[in-house]
Amino acid sequence: MDRAEKIGIYASGGLHAAVILWAIVGDMWFARTPTEPVQMTQVSVISDAEFQAMQAAAPSAGGTPDAVQQTAPEAMDAPSQDDAPPEVTPEPPQPSAPEPQPAAPEPEPAPEPQPDMSDLTDPPEPAEVVEVPPEMMPPVIEPQDTQTPEFSPRPVAKPARRVAPEPAPTPEPDTQVAAIAEPEARPEESVEPPPEPEETPEPTAPEEAGTEIETEASEEVAEAKTSAPPASPRPRTKPARPAPAPEPAKPAPPAPDRDDSREQTQTASDAPKPAAPTPAPPAPEVSSAVDDALAQALGGGGDASGGTGAAPSGPPITRGEKEALIVDVKRCWNVGALSSEALRTTVTLAVDMNQNATPIVSSIRMIDSSGGSQAAANQAFEAGRRAIVRCGSDGFPLPAEKYGQWQTIEIVFNPENMRMR
Amino acid sequence: MLRMLMAMTAAMSFMAAPAAMAQDGPLRIEITDGVIEPLPYALPTFVAETGDASQMAQDIASVVRSDLNGTGLFREIPASAHIQRFSSFGTSVNYSDWTAINAQALIVGAVSVSGGQAVVKFRLYDVFSGQEMGEGQQLVANPQSWRRLAHKVADTIYSRITGEGGYFDSRVAFVNETGPKDARQKRIAIMDYDGANVNYLTDSSTIVLAPRFSPDGNRVLYTTFETGFPRIKMLNVSNVTSQLLPETPGTMTFAPRFSPDGQSILYSMEQGGNTDLYKMGINGGNPQRLTNSPAIETGPSFSPDGSKIVFESDRSGTQQLYIMGANGGEPTRISFGEGRYSTPVWSPRGDMIAFTKQHAGRFHIGVMRTDGSEERLLTASFLDEGPTWSPNGRVIMFTRETPGAQGGASLWSVDISGRNLKQVNTPGAASDVSWSPLLP
Repeated sequence: MDRAEKIGIYASGGLHAAVILWAIVGDMWFARTPTEPVQMTQVSVISDAEFQAMQAAAPSAGGTPDAVQQTAPEAMDAPSQDDAPPEVTPEPPQPSAPEPQPAAPEPEPAPEPQPDMSDLTDPPEPAEVVEVPPEMMPPVIEPQDTQTPEFSPRPVAKPARRVAPEPAPTPEPDTQVAAIAEPEARPEESVEPPPEPEETPEPTAPEEAGTEIETEASEEVAEAKTSAPPASPRPRTKPARPAPAPEPAKPAPPAPDRDDSREQTQTASDAPKPAAPTPAPPAPEVSSAVDDALAQALGGGGDASGGTGAAPSGPPITRGEKEALIVDVKRCWNVGALSSEALRTTVTLAVDMNQNATPIVSSIRMIDSSGGSQAAANQAFEAGRRAIVRCGSDGFPLPAEKYGQWQTIEIVFNPENMRMR
Repeated sequence: MLRMLMAMTAAMSFMAAPAAMAQDGPLRIEITDGVIEPLPYALPTFVAETGDASQMAQDIASVVRSDLNGTGLFREIPASAHIQRFSSFGTSVNYSDWTAINAQALIVGAVSVSGGQAVVKFRLYDVFSGQEMGEGQQLVANPQSWRRLAHKVADTIYSRITGEGGYFDSRVAFVNETGPKDARQKRIAIMDYDGANVNYLTDSSTIVLAPRFSPDGNRVLYTTFETGFPRIKMLNVSNVTSQLLPETPGTMTFAPRFSPDGQSILYSMEQGGNTDLYKMGINGGNPQRLTNSPAIETGPSFSPDGSKIVFESDRSGTQQLYIMGANGGEPTRISFGEGRYSTPVWSPRGDMIAFTKQHAGRFHIGVMRTDGSEERLLTASFLDEGPTWSPNGRVIMFTRETPGAQGGASLWSVDISGRNLKQVNTPGAASDVSWSPLLP
């Protein structure tokens, strides 16, 4: 599984989990009370002593609306309770608020609070009050403008915080994974070779096979592109093994690589540098063999004596780019005219490439063959060479900036799947 | 200890690393799938270098085209698409003109007639490589043999491109059939592989069956009923004379086949109600009995090296294929599929055996490895039988018969890949075909 896919899966999983968690737990914390529009008014808090002082200072306790005075203290204790709203009347609190301060010096003249309070506690008929406010509240006082600001910040704000930051991104990753996969991959390739109209110059014949193979190619290429480049540049750092230092002569190859050639020479010049310090570490006395093993393993074999000995430089070829090259070559590899013995012969061809991704025809050579006679190998070689020349005439789909990686290509033509069965 | 552990781990990873290390070399890819399609080629009409050679030049080019196209491996790009024209054999090739029309091979030739001799010369070019494939060649023959000249040119081209020998300059012997189905008249005939130059070697006075070419192509063995019983006759193709092979009184002989060296004959002989395989020198002598069982053994065919024999036998209860040594011995059964197997023929390459298979009311021509593996059925019809190999082992010719009173036998050919199934041109109905070796 590629890195991109992992990230997508993790993101999707995390967001889904968040949504599920919100669905389960969010109700507990942010349950919506089936509240009707509630109007809040500013209330000042006064102590019991102040209140009593006020009562005492009041001219008369008799005829004023009892319910108002009774509910006011309750509302102060628990402002969020449903009982509070009914006291819509703005009058009592506001006048009472400024009064407490001047009332402070009056504790003395108010010695008889008790009798008045008894009056207050008397009226057990709040029923009348309850009937009225529910009807009055919503329509009259709060036209819709004031509702939103007057919603207590809590119920609105909390759900908003939770939902807003996270749920918004969640839907996007899901759709991105499916929809963006192709577009993302295409730009990579289309960017590389600006002149892409590959097959237009070919007039007649290739169309038969071209149509079939193109569809395969597009599928395979699409597949390949969804997968992120697996190659990690790490192995290229060669910590040990100074021995292969004499290799810097390698950048000799003919074509100068614009920036790549600089990179090559740089890496070549860098290579000897790490080589210099390496002689120092061998200090450990006995286990030189162990050191060698470590150095070879960690250094990727040091000299990397693969085929030509010239380690490519620059960013590695991605799997998608490799697949695109394979698709391009195989559509020209015609084994229809090969003998059955040649169809049992696997040949490996090497070809040097121009920077415009066309093969240097004269450089095509057979470097290995197996499974058949020399005559069969020669026929298989001819078929492979024709494939390279034909499909390479317009340039292979290779990234120009990675020329250092593909200036020489080895192609194994294995007709295993093409044999008669 | 830790250091040792690290060393071991490092060593192991180093040993397991080659695949990754290989990526440090040049970019390497593996192609395991390609396309199978006819190779497009261009063949401008051959240049007539003498005034009286123009018709022959066209005819020869036409036969070469027919040969190549008939294989199913090549496809000619019509002349109307050609950009470059050749006015002389020495005209240099402008490769870009041919790559532009996607010609992968280009054949340029010239014909001249002088001194009673026809001369054909040609060159073959690999267009995309921009070089000649092999060297130019020149052939000389009697003008009346211009078709053979053309076949030789085609064989050379075929061989250079495919890497295997050609088969165009070859002949087939067959039984020509005339008359209604219930009263057929049969004659031994030979013709070019493509149906040209038919010659009848016998008359229709008696029934003749199963002609078989000798390895040199000069003689034909066949079975005749001229004595009232099946007898083997050997016919000299050049002078059309024939002779009965020696026989044991009271026996019937049939299904003859030459040995690869042409010095002995393998055949079946029925004696006392039992049929076994025998071998005999072409000049007579005592027949050597190769099998001895109460079953019917027939249809023998030598391996190309002459060391083994494949034949059919019903010793297991149904017709199956067996292999044994050229001098007899315990046979080994090689066919185990459903149905009956018959008329086995060893490939000239030695790697395969062609056969007739009857199963579920259908007949098939098939091939299998000499050990019986990789059986493949190439055809299926009301009646297909009697396969014979082309000289290069690439094509099989056989007899196909259609049902009904109006049905008749005809010759067909098919590539061993199962592609390019087509009928062979014959004058009337034909059966029992045998392919000759490549002519000298």
